Amino acid sequence: MKKKILVVDDEEGLRLLYEEVLKEEGYEVLTARNGREAIQQLEAGKPDLIILDIVMPVMDGMEALGRIVGKDRKIPIILNTSYGGYQQDFMSWAADAYLTKSADFSELKNKVRELLRQR
Amino acid sequence: MVLAGGRGERLYPLTRDRAKPAVAFGGIYRIIDFTLSNCINSDIRRIYIITQYKSVSLHRHIQLGWNILSSPLGEFIEIIPAQQRIDEHWYQGTADAFFQNIYTLQQERPDLVLILSGDHIYKMDYRKMIAFHLEKKADLTVAAIRMRREESREFGVIEVDRDWRIIGFEEKPEDPKTVPGDPEGILASMGVYVFNIELLVKRLIEDARSDSTHDFGRDIIPSMIEKDQVFAFDFRQGDQGGVGYWRDVGTIDAYFEANMDLVSVTPQLNLYDSQWPILTYQSPNPPAKTVWAEDARVGTALNSIISNGCIISGGSVKRSILSPRVTIHSHAEIEDCILLEGVDVGRYAKIRRTIIDKEAQIPQGMEIGYNLDEDARRFTVTGSGIVVVPKGIRL
Repeated sequence: MKKKILVVDDEEGLRLLYEEVLKEEGYEVLTARNGREAIQQLEAGKPDLIILDIVMPVMDGMEALGRIVGKDRKIPIILNTSYGGYQQDFMSWAADAYLTKSADFSELKNKVRELLRQR
Repeated sequence: MVLAGGRGERLYPLTRDRAKPAVAFGGIYRIIDFTLSNCINSDIRRIYIITQYKSVSLHRHIQLGWNILSSPLGEFIEIIPAQQRIDEHWYQGTADAFFQNIYTLQQERPDLVLILSGDHIYKMDYRKMIAFHLEKKADLTVAAIRMRREESREFGVIEVDRDWRIIGFEEKPEDPKTVPGDPEGILASMGVYVFNIELLVKRLIEDARSDSTHDFGRDIIPSMIEKDQVFAFDFRQGDQGGVGYWRDVGTIDAYFEANMDLVSVTPQLNLYDSQWPILTYQSPNPPAKTVWAEDARVGTALNSIISNGCIISGGSVKRSILSPRVTIHSHAEIEDCILLEGVDVGRYAKIRRTIIDKEAQIPQGMEIGYNLDEDARRFTVTGSGIVVVPKGIRL
């Protein structure tokens, strides 16, 4: 069965891009526009892994991260952001990986593969 | 950070309307006053109190009595109620309580976190423990008190090597590891921890992301013994009382005994040490007073602690602790009792070995503590025969 990945990002262009890249890798992809939608998707779509942007309207990724862990202790979460500074936030340590957004998707793809394998 | 969220179920009915740290002790104190006083006396002036169940009474006490620090100097005693910021559930264990307050740790970002329980009565200089922690370059230091081997089922038992490095930790074991060189002694965890902040956060997160009971004693400490520098601090090195006094007062019997210690001639817990004052909140009451000294009607208090606002009006009080505003009317006899604030004992009432919670009114002529079968129909009676009359009762 295909593994399901939830991509959470407020930029539609990026969501589409990640969706395409991950589908090529053989995953099923769910998307959400912000933290609140991500939590809804977590319950409705039962993803196997979450790729989570940080700076988003409605509910940001850092708050969503805490709430996701509160609901599902073990789901792998990759924080995927344009900014490096959030690594100073203790809550970011609750993510399984912290990646800086890049046009090269190999790091993200490797991380996804690695975390799904460990699961 | 003071954990003050425990239900204190074994102290029921004293914890019917309040969390355990807010239970009165020694006449004028609340249990949490001892931990907070230790902080102030140890020059620790940035204090968070984490509350959860039945916290209104505790909040009021802290607001009224502990508004003593200077916020312009960066000092504070701040209460953090359960906010459900991360999880929609209440705290699942002591470690979970900290994980849920990770934002507070983030905001404050100290180098070290001293974790305390608001449930215990003792006098300790935390600075000595912190100095030990730094000297050992420890990641975690756990305060340890010597107990007798038979008591192991009540406590988290620590196993140390000669250097006081912790090499084992068991929660309430039947067959405990004893102190090196003392086969009858064990080291019990006092629920007092010094953590390096970053490691605390890492271990809390690991714990939060695993299936565990999310408890410091059960989960965090055992996991850290394997991978981190974990040391035990001998309470004797920081004991301000000098007699190894530390009480959990987790049960009615333990609570009763710990209070009764205070009316002895030389109590183990010395409340008179001006170098280590125990602070609290006291409402403005006039001094205690005894009245009537006639042949058959004498107001007396012997071997007792009588707080402000009490009037012993022609009754007799022996080996008892009276919180503020207690009134004992003529010919009433009180022996070995703890009467909490505002209790009123009517004429000719006879009461012994009883704890009477706040604002209870005992009618004229009532006997409590003399016929335990009878008492048990109305009140809580412990195995050792202590009767507890709940708050506000009108009989």
